[in-house]
Amino acid sequence: MLLREVEYAKPSSVAEALTILAANDGARALAGGQTLINVMKARAASPDGLVDLNGLAELKGIDLGADGTLSIGPMATYTEICNSAEARARPILGEVCAQIADVQVRNRGTIGGNICANDPTNHLPPLLAAIGAQMTIAGAGGERVVPAEEFFIGVYLTAVGPGELLTRITIPAGKADGFAAVTLGADGTCIANAAASLNGSLRVAVGCVGAVPLVVHPASADDDAVREAVRGAGIDAPSDVHASSEYRSHLAEVLSVRAARQATQRAGT
Amino acid sequence: MEVSRAIAVTINGTEYERDVEARKLLIHFIRDDLDLTGSHIGCDTGNCGACSVIVDGVLVKSCMMLAVQADGTTIETVEGLAEAGELTPLQQSFSDHHALQCGYCTPGMLMSATALLRSNPNPSEAEVKKALQGNICRCTGYWNIIEAVKAVGK
Amino acid sequence: MSNTVVTPEKVATPQKGWAGQSVPRKEDKRLVEGEGVFVDDIKRHGMGYIFFVRSPYAHAHITSIDVSKAEAIKGVYGTLTGEEVAALTDPFFQLSTPPGAHLKDFALAVGKVRYVGEAVVAVVAETRELARDASELVDVEYEPLDAVTDARHAQDDGAPVLHDDSGSNLMWEGVYEWGDLDAAFAEADKVVKISELHFHRFNSTPLETDGALVEFNRGTGQWTIYTNNQFPGFAAIMMGPAMRTGLDKLRFVTQDIGGGFGNKITSHPQLVACCLLARKLNRAVQWTEWRTDFHMSMSHGNERWFHDTEVAVKSDGTLLGFRTKALDDAGAWLRYEPLGGVIWAQVTPGMYRWRNIRLEFTQVATNKAPVSPNRGYSRMQHLWFTERVIDIVAHELDLDPVDVRKKNYIRTEDMPYETPNGCIYDSGDYAQMLDVALDLIGYGAVEERKAEAASRGKLVGLGIGSTLDSGTNNFGQSRMINPELQFSGNNEVATVKLDIFGEIVVTLGTTPQGQGHETTAAQVVADILQCSVDDVHVRAGHDSYWNSHAGFSGTYASQFAVTGLSAVKGATDMLAAEIKKLASAVFGGVPVEALELAEGGVRIKESPDAFLPFMACGAIINANNAGLPEDLGVTLNCRYVYRPPFQVPDVEKKFGNLTLTYAAQVHVAVIEIDPETGYYDIVDYAAVDDCGIRINPQIVEGQVMGATAQALGAAVHETFEYDEDGNLLTPNFYDYHVPHALDMPPLRTGNIESPSPFTPLGTKGMGEGGGAGIHAVCAAVQDALRGHGDAIVWDSHNPYHRVWEMLQHPEKTREGVTVS
Repeated sequence: MLLREVEYAKPSSVAEALTILAANDGARALAGGQTLINVMKARAASPDGLVDLNGLAELKGIDLGADGTLSIGPMATYTEICNSAEARARPILGEVCAQIADVQVRNRGTIGGNICANDPTNHLPPLLAAIGAQMTIAGAGGERVVPAEEFFIGVYLTAVGPGELLTRITIPAGKADGFAAVTLGADGTCIANAAASLNGSLRVAVGCVGAVPLVVHPASADDDAVREAVRGAGIDAPSDVHASSEYRSHLAEVLSVRAARQATQRAGT
Repeated sequence: MEVSRAIAVTINGTEYERDVEARKLLIHFIRDDLDLTGSHIGCDTGNCGACSVIVDGVLVKSCMMLAVQADGTTIETVEGLAEAGELTPLQQSFSDHHALQCGYCTPGMLMSATALLRSNPNPSEAEVKKALQGNICRCTGYWNIIEAVKAVGK
Repeated sequence: MSNTVVTPEKVATPQKGWAGQSVPRKEDKRLVEGEGVFVDDIKRHGMGYIFFVRSPYAHAHITSIDVSKAEAIKGVYGTLTGEEVAALTDPFFQLSTPPGAHLKDFALAVGKVRYVGEAVVAVVAETRELARDASELVDVEYEPLDAVTDARHAQDDGAPVLHDDSGSNLMWEGVYEWGDLDAAFAEADKVVKISELHFHRFNSTPLETDGALVEFNRGTGQWTIYTNNQFPGFAAIMMGPAMRTGLDKLRFVTQDIGGGFGNKITSHPQLVACCLLARKLNRAVQWTEWRTDFHMSMSHGNERWFHDTEVAVKSDGTLLGFRTKALDDAGAWLRYEPLGGVIWAQVTPGMYRWRNIRLEFTQVATNKAPVSPNRGYSRMQHLWFTERVIDIVAHELDLDPVDVRKKNYIRTEDMPYETPNGCIYDSGDYAQMLDVALDLIGYGAVEERKAEAASRGKLVGLGIGSTLDSGTNNFGQSRMINPELQFSGNNEVATVKLDIFGEIVVTLGTTPQGQGHETTAAQVVADILQCSVDDVHVRAGHDSYWNSHAGFSGTYASQFAVTGLSAVKGATDMLAAEIKKLASAVFGGVPVEALELAEGGVRIKESPDAFLPFMACGAIINANNAGLPEDLGVTLNCRYVYRPPFQVPDVEKKFGNLTLTYAAQVHVAVIEIDPETGYYDIVDYAAVDDCGIRINPQIVEGQVMGATAQALGAAVHETFEYDEDGNLLTPNFYDYHVPHALDMPPLRTGNIESPSPFTPLGTKGMGEGGGAGIHAVCAAVQDALRGHGDAIVWDSHNPYHRVWEMLQHPEKTREGVTVS
């Protein structure tokens, strides 16, 4: 509950933030803090310094392009996404953000923080993997765009490297999406989850079963094809107090089918 | 980068200037440094909501914000709700509906309900439940709290 | 510069009688304003903050402790180790007989650690953060040992033994038997055997954790302990001898407590550590328990197995008796245990008329957090057991659980009812409560509900949970655990006085944690003195300096409405009599029978103009008392000790009245299971309660609701589960899910009032709730699975993964169930 001593900086631009991060390799970006501060309270991790990204206008904003592409600042909060008229161009975003934790957490927690934390039980990594998001990463060497399937590397580990920052999340147009979860209490932590997106072919991303979202491409959107694809991926889900490996793997299958059904239904509308 | 810095915060209409370590949580600053002990601590993982306050009009859990992050903000806590000793309709409704027993979760509940009613003056039962989801109570079972908030909405 | 504002007090209009009214609570104003005083709100200049270094091992020898690096830090005031504690204090008194009696329990671990999270060293520093930082510089070397975490293996050959002083993990055992088991089983048409049932480990996780601020007065040797301990009487008895000090040197002060539910009874080890540090460091010390520390170390509810249960039953569902073996997992220390080994016997037959019962009770130690009272303490476990038996027997014999209950419930015409072991159920009408509950839930339409759900691929189940809240203990039952214990009966104290300006001031020996004692006490006083509740000032909290406490003072075990309010009534009756005696003298010898209390004073009935307001009474006695008769004997400051009418039980036969009152609840739960995932929702819920005369109906209902929510949380989500190495897998609210507003089902409530013939006000203690929600949910799950594998619900905790398992492998749950 009591943090270790830490240094703090509040840069007024992304460039300044990158400079500070590059100069202090024990420093970490502080986004919404709804995960990082808890981690620091438990002293499970104690960065030497925090670079506060709150207040950087460059990292905010939800813009809708003429072609339906959404450009979202990583510091957009879950609440902002839920309330955004622009974000409704891809309805699944607001629907899933509304299920995350509670209103206090949604008011501070950010989409960027959620995916950069890449906790296996998070909602947004599988969702963004399913809908084919692209992440823009800035660093000393300039900017690069990393697609979702290369962004998530390991538990709490993403393509954002030391001295770098996620600066934009780009989401293509689309409405044929689905998400299903079994949670610890209503809108609670996910015990298992899955996201699906139908865009010509079906893409399913399973969360909670490995270090990174597991992406499969079923032969069709039929229940059986989805089950087969998920089974064929050879899931070895972790077991914990909420689920045995067997149960979690089973849930992964059921939820993948449900997410795919939801995506299919929405493709028709 | 600094290990501590001077911050200025306005809480319930009063301005405070203090030096704080960067590591100090906002809830500890409010309770320990400023003696505003109405906001409470009930957990260490950001789940219980007893520390809920309103920062620049936004409801937050002050155990997941650093005091330094509150520099320049305007904060409302439970002590600021009643004006001149007169309970607000929401506070009165809590008492009328027996929406509190031990009173430990109550400040957080009041702040969450206050935030809700500002943006949604006439919430449905489902909306009230969703708005209070981040506040744990072990005494009441929530039913009376939900009624108390709905009653103010009418 | 702020303006001073004077806000006039709101005055409530006098009612015909205050008892029975849902009078607004006096406590509310300060609590909704955020002006309550909880223990962490209290500060002292220069106080030191305590942080405990805790064991990372479930079982290990402590080979060395080095605090020098921590103490060298500027701002660290000092430390305390187990070695010092062992030198300065004696081990805590043990309630058990040998071998449990030999435990040497101290404020900090001495020589060995026995559960993950056990406190080993205390560090005190200028700030919270510094104490935490410094604690990381304390070097403790351990030699890990094997751990035992399953009570069923605690007595195996070669099992790791926690306490060398006792030589085994057996902490206490006893056999209870009443009636004629052989005859019952001979008469039975069927014998239903259930090899294993399990009541799981959890507790009520009050939102405020334990805490204290302790000051030591070097001149007088007096400790002042600001704390939220809910049973200071017990804490004092434990701490005084250990600290080699008289009890009067331990002053306990409480005000607002953020929930107790029994979980704040056994903080005396930490309080001793605080006292020793306050004296050693010559400064006030402050301790606030962290949520994770609470989960890992404090007050887990009794985890209990029931093995080899055999039930004798007639074909028509008449229950004749049962045998079972209860195995209680006490965790690493006996802090209030083994009283759990007898307290269940307050409700030996549950709500049923069977007369032939045998229960072998064994309590063992394991490398887990120590168990101590949790809401429903020890009765809840036993009542869950009886309810499971009813449902499983009904299931196996293809009988309706409603019919089996009605056939076997103790009947209202049998009340007061003497149970097989001599407890007296004072009053009640269980069958009527069941009817009310079934009506509330729409029992007639349940088949349609099931069919409609089935059309959506879901399984609906309905379950009944009936339970008792036995209240006001006879502490003589402790002699059935240990005949040498010198406890019996019970008591509670209240004082009521009339001050010089006529203020009515009440002090209580209780330590309320949200039950509204200030309000209900005022209602009782106002009815006797015939004034407004607003004229009655009840002091907030408990302070042993007020001399309003006795040996058993505190708030626990569903007894305030009897013990606390009867003490209040007794003191107020005394005061009323004194007021009349004074008025008699002032009016020149008018007989007291001719006087009455009315409208905030005393007057002659026949000529009400002869009226002495309370203010005049107070002024005369306190400041204007010349000329009063020498033998008047009036002080207007009355202290009353309520003592319930108990005898010492027959220790050999284990027979006698163990509690004074029996409140009851009957709940019905309707759940809907998603069979593909095992996920389920509680879609409808009814709770009916009977606690005799209700002084404040709204407060009573609030207790019923709160107990229901906690029971539902325990039934579905809450569990203190350990891995094989003794690590707690749910050490905080992230994994230990406490239900929130979105998790709550719709709730329908009802009540009946069966006054108690044994209490001064006809009230019965209530509040614990007996775990009815757990019993109801278990029954509902089992009902939903009928025809879908027919699994037996054998565990009190049924999270989604267990329901799914029961759907996949129902035969595993049925392996241990036979009918012959």
